[in-house]
Amino acid sequence: MNDQLTNREARDAIAKEYEWGFSSDIEQEFAPKGLDEDTVRFISAKKGEPEWMLDWRLKAFHAWLEMEEVDWAKLDIPAINYQDAYYYAAPKKKEALKSLDEVDPEILRVYEKLGIPIEEQKVLAGVEGARKVAVDAVFDSVSVATTFREELKAAGVIFLSISEAIREYPELIRKYLGSVVPQRDNYFACLNSAVFSDGTFVLVPEGVRCPMELSTYFRINAENTGQFERTLIVAEKGSYVSYLEGCTAPMRDENQLHAAVVEIYAHEDAEVKYSTVQNWYPGDAEGKGGIFNFVTKRALCAGARSKVSWTQVETGSAITWKYPSCILKGESSVGEFYSVALTNNRQQADTGTKMVHIGANSRSTIVSKGISAGRSDNTYRGLVRVLPGAENVRNFTQCDSLLLGSECGAHTVPYIEVRNPTATIEHEATTSKISEDQLFYAMARGLDAESAVALIVNGFAREVLKQLPMEFAVEAQKLLGISLEGSVG
Amino acid sequence: MLKIENLHATVAGKAILNGLTLTVPAGEIHAIMGPNGAGKSTLAYVLGGRPGYEVTEGSVTFDGRDLFAMEPHERAAAGMFLGFQYPVEIPGVSYLQFLRESLNSQKRAKGDAEFSGAEFIKLAKTQAATLGMDAEMLKRPVNVGFSGGEKKRAEMVQMGIMDPKLAILDETDSGLDIDALKAVGHGINEIMRAPEKSVLLITHYQRLLDYVRPDRVHVLSRGKIVRSGGPELAMELEREGYAEVAA
Amino acid sequence: MTALPTRKLEAFRYADIDALASVWPSLAPPVRVEIAAQQKLQQIWLPSGDDVDVRRFDVVLEAGASANFFALNTASRFGRIELDVTLHEGAEFEFDAANIGGGNSTLEVVTTVRHVEPNATSRQTVRSVLAGKAIGSYLGKVAVSRGADGTDSEQSVKAMLLARGATANAKPELEIYADDVKCAHGATVGELDREQLFYAAARGLDPAGARALLLEGFVGGLWDGIEGDDRGIADAARVALKAIA
Repeated sequence: MNDQLTNREARDAIAKEYEWGFSSDIEQEFAPKGLDEDTVRFISAKKGEPEWMLDWRLKAFHAWLEMEEVDWAKLDIPAINYQDAYYYAAPKKKEALKSLDEVDPEILRVYEKLGIPIEEQKVLAGVEGARKVAVDAVFDSVSVATTFREELKAAGVIFLSISEAIREYPELIRKYLGSVVPQRDNYFACLNSAVFSDGTFVLVPEGVRCPMELSTYFRINAENTGQFERTLIVAEKGSYVSYLEGCTAPMRDENQLHAAVVEIYAHEDAEVKYSTVQNWYPGDAEGKGGIFNFVTKRALCAGARSKVSWTQVETGSAITWKYPSCILKGESSVGEFYSVALTNNRQQADTGTKMVHIGANSRSTIVSKGISAGRSDNTYRGLVRVLPGAENVRNFTQCDSLLLGSECGAHTVPYIEVRNPTATIEHEATTSKISEDQLFYAMARGLDAESAVALIVNGFAREVLKQLPMEFAVEAQKLLGISLEGSVG
Repeated sequence: MLKIENLHATVAGKAILNGLTLTVPAGEIHAIMGPNGAGKSTLAYVLGGRPGYEVTEGSVTFDGRDLFAMEPHERAAAGMFLGFQYPVEIPGVSYLQFLRESLNSQKRAKGDAEFSGAEFIKLAKTQAATLGMDAEMLKRPVNVGFSGGEKKRAEMVQMGIMDPKLAILDETDSGLDIDALKAVGHGINEIMRAPEKSVLLITHYQRLLDYVRPDRVHVLSRGKIVRSGGPELAMELEREGYAEVAA
Repeated sequence: MTALPTRKLEAFRYADIDALASVWPSLAPPVRVEIAAQQKLQQIWLPSGDDVDVRRFDVVLEAGASANFFALNTASRFGRIELDVTLHEGAEFEFDAANIGGGNSTLEVVTTVRHVEPNATSRQTVRSVLAGKAIGSYLGKVAVSRGADGTDSEQSVKAMLLARGATANAKPELEIYADDVKCAHGATVGELDREQLFYAAARGLDPAGARALLLEGFVGGLWDGIEGDDRGIADAARVALKAIA
C-alpha cells in the first residue's frame, strides 16, 4: 500500500497544471541539426558501435529516403521538417557509472521534480528493501542508471540499454533486432532504425519467471530533440516477464517528434505483459506544442502457446499514431490488446491494434475504450486477419467510444479479414455519452461535476484499467481524471 | 426398445458416465432421476449423438440396432426423439419449414412418400391443438422469442408430429408453470402411451411424475444407476432427498 | 469518365480491379434517388445476371422520408453495390443486402451513410455466404455530422464461409462528430452454429439438408421487412444458395 501511496503522491505533480513543463540545463551534447548519412554515422560513432550496426543503420537510412510518410490515419499531421531537428542529445557522458553518486545531481533533481515515484528513487539510490521494480531510466536518449542488474543477472535476465547490449550481446542483437519490425515496415519505424538513440534490451531465459516487473521511464528533455527509442524484448521458452513503460515530457512550444519501436519476440510457452501509461505533453488548450508520438509496437508470438498482452492508457501527446500488434504465428498462441485512449482539447489519437492469426487455435482479445473531449479526435483503428492455414481461430473485439461534449469526434475503423472457415470472429462497438441522469445522480450524492465525470469515465475504462499492475492502475485512474480537467462545462 | 450396457462417456476428456446399464422395454415409461451433475443430460446427449460427447466403452442398441453406428439424423429417422432441455433458437427459419423439412428428410431416409405442404400443415395444426399451442406460433422462427414454457410445449408438438417409437426427454419439465407442466404431461401420455412405444424421462424433480406415471424409476448418481424401483421410488426420493437414497 | 480506381483507394481495397476495368468505360453514373420529405420508398435490387455487375446509387432522404432497400449481390465474377446515402432530419433508412457467391467471384457492398441532420435512423444488415474462392466484403461507413444529435445507426454484418479458400472482409466504420448519438455495429464471421446443426439433426434432417436450411435462415431474415408479396428476391437468394451450398 505504501508503494501506491507514494506513487500517487508522486503523480500528484501533474494534478494541477502541467507542472512538469520545465527544462533542466544539463549540458547537452548534440548531434549536428538535420538528418543525413553523417548524422547516422555520428550517432553510431558516439555510441561506439561496431561496423555491422552502422551498416544496419545506414541501410535503414537509405530505405527511409525512398519511403513516404503515412497518410491513411485520421490525423491532421503538420509537415515535419526532418532537417530542422536534432537526432542525438546525451547528458554529458561519463565512464560507466558505479553508483548514483556519480550521476549528475541535476539529473537526480529532474527525476524528483518529475515525480518519478519515490520507490523508484530509492531503487535508483540503492536503498535496501525497496520495492522490486527495476528501472532503466532513459534520460533523454541515453541510459543513465540501470538498477537491480545484479539480482536480474542471478536469474539470468538480461536488462540493459540497447547500446550496451549491442556491445555486450552482439549475437543476440543481430539475431533479433528488426526480426519483428523490419526496417522498411513503415516510415517512422524505418527512421527509428536509422537514428535510434537508445532504448532497452530484455532477454528472459528459458523457464525463468522474471523476479520483478521491469520498468522504464522515458522523458524527453532537450529542445528540438526527436526521441527515437528502441526496445527489444525476447522471452525464451516458458519464460514470463511484465514490462511497464511510463513517460512524460516537459512543456514545449515546438512540436517534438517521437518515433519509437518496440519489438517483442515470444518463444514457445513464453508470456510477455507490456503495460504503458503515456502522458506526454499534449499541447496547450489551443493545441500549441505537444509531442508527436509515432510508435511502432509489435509482438511476434513465434512459439506454440506463447502469449503477449498489450495494455495501454494513452492520455498524452498532441498526435498519437500507435498500433501495438501481435503476429500470432505459434499454434494456440494468444494476443491481447487492452486500451484506453483519452483525448482532450486539440489532441488527435489514431490508435488500435492488429491481430494477425497465422497459427492454428490462436486466440485474440481486443478491448478498446476511447474517450473524446474538447475539440479532439479519437480514432480506433484495428485489424483482425485470419490466414487460410489458421484453423479454429477465435477473436473477440469490444470497441466502445465515449463522447464528452459536442465539439469532439469519435471514430471506429475496424478491419476484419477472414480466410479460414473455422474462424469465429466477433466484433462489437458502441458509442455513448455520459447521460445527464448519470451526472445528476452522482452530483446529487455530493460529487462535483468534474469528479462525477472522472468517476464515470473510470467506470467506462475499468475493464482495461484492471489489466494494469496495481500501482500503475492507480496512476492511470488519476491521470484520466486529470486529463479531463476543463472538459466539463 | 432401448438397451444400454456398461456405458462410459467423456465430455472434454472428463468422465461423466461410468458404466451405466439400463433396459427400457417397449410399452414402458422409465424415469431417470438424479442430482445435478449426476450425468443426466450427458446421457441424453450421448443417446442423441451430440458431437463432443465421446463414448469410451459400452454399447447401446435401439430397436436391435447399434445406436452408435447411426448419425444423429439417422437415429431420428429410426424413430428416436430427443427432447431438449434447452431448445435451440434458429432465427430466419420458421417452425413449419423446419419441421416439414425434418420430417420429409426422415421419410426419404425410410423410403416413404413425403408430405405435401397441405398435409403437413394439417398435421401440425392437429398436434398443436392437442398440446394447447396456438398454431400461429409455428409460423415464427424456431424458438426465437419463445418463453421457456412455450419452448417446451413446442418440443412436445414436435414429438407429436414426428410420432417416434422412443422419446428421450431431457428435463422437459424444468422451468414450467403448472399449466405448462400439465400440458406436457398430457402430451407425453397422449403421444407416447402405446404398447409399441417407450419413453425415457430424465428429470430432477418428481412433480412431472404426478402427470406421467412411470413404470420404472432409476436413480443416477456419478454416472451410473445406483437404484431402480417402481413409481414409489420417486416418492421416496422426494421425501428423503438424493443423498439418502443414492448413498 | 474518371480514371479507373486502384486498390489504394479505401473504397476499392477489396475490389476486383481487372473486372471493374472491363465495365468502367461504359459504367453509368450513380443512379440518383431522391425521396421527398415524408415520402416512403421501397426498392428491391435483383442482380442483373451479368458476370460483372456494378450498381451505384446516390440517395438523398429529405426530412421525415423513409427508404427500405433490399439487394442481392451474386455476380459470378465481380458484383459491387455502391451506396451513398444522405439523411436529413428524422429520415429513416433501412438497407438489407446479401452477398452469395462461389467460384472466383468477388462480391462487395460499399456504403456511406451520412447523418447530416438530427434524429435520423439507419439500419444496415449485410449477410455473406461464400464458397469456393469467393471474396465477400462489406465496407460501410456511417458518418454523423456535427449537430446531428439523436442519430440512431446500426450496422450488422455477418459472414459465413463454406470453403477453405473463401474470404470474408468487413469494415463497419463510424465517424462521429455529435455526442448525443446511438451508433452500434456488430460483425461476425464463422461457421454454421453447431448447436443449431445438432438440433436439426436430432429432428431428422440430414447434414446437407440441415446446412441448406440454416443458410437459408441466415440469409432469409433479410427479406422479412419487404412490404407486399414480392418474394422474388427471397427466391433468387434461395437459388443462389442452392448453387453454392
